[in-house]
Amino acid sequence: MAFREKIHWVTLVTMAAAFGWYFLVYPWQIADSPAGVWATAGLLVPVTIAIIVAMTVATAFLAIRNRAEVDLKEDERDRSFHMRGTHYAYYPLVVGIWVNIFLIFWGISQAQQLNMMIATLVVAELVRIGTQLYLYRRGY
Amino acid sequence: MASLPFTNDIRTLRFLAGEMTQGELGDRVGVTRQTIAAIEQGKYSPSLEVAFRIARTFDKPLEAVFQWTDGMS
Repeated sequence: MAFREKIHWVTLVTMAAAFGWYFLVYPWQIADSPAGVWATAGLLVPVTIAIIVAMTVATAFLAIRNRAEVDLKEDERDRSFHMRGTHYAYYPLVVGIWVNIFLIFWGISQAQQLNMMIATLVVAELVRIGTQLYLYRRGY
Repeated sequence: MASLPFTNDIRTLRFLAGEMTQGELGDRVGVTRQTIAAIEQGKYSPSLEVAFRIARTFDKPLEAVFQWTDGMS
């Protein structure tokens, strides 16, 4: 498995774990109150730190084990996979945004809007990275 | 994905060029070893620039490296 592919796996697992934890421990009982917004802020701090630390440690570890591939620049195939991943990620992003717009008119709370946006972003990112990983596995 | 409408002789040309590795060819044309492997297996269609770079590496015309498969549109 190529270094770049390993990094994508680390990103996918880290994001899924960090935001999986976020949505699991979020105090949904206060999501309709202003305190729900602050709960989001409070939880995003450890989530962000965890992602940064995990990515830094994993990237450093993989870089040491794959010294020859570390300096390799993205080539046209990598860029093509990235573009296709971004293309597929666009769909959940658009759907999420439209659902959020609809829910704002429906009258949901700020905290719920915030969580909806975070969920949309996370799903889009997972689709992007997942698509890239699928294409790397398939080879083209 | 449907198979590409052309084949290539990169593997043979690498062998004839002193058993050049996929990594060495990749370095010369500016792509990764994995991309060369994908091109060789007919899984990836390279850009015209990379195709020309591969041909120039072996000092061959483009059609000596890539051949259009007859009967495919």
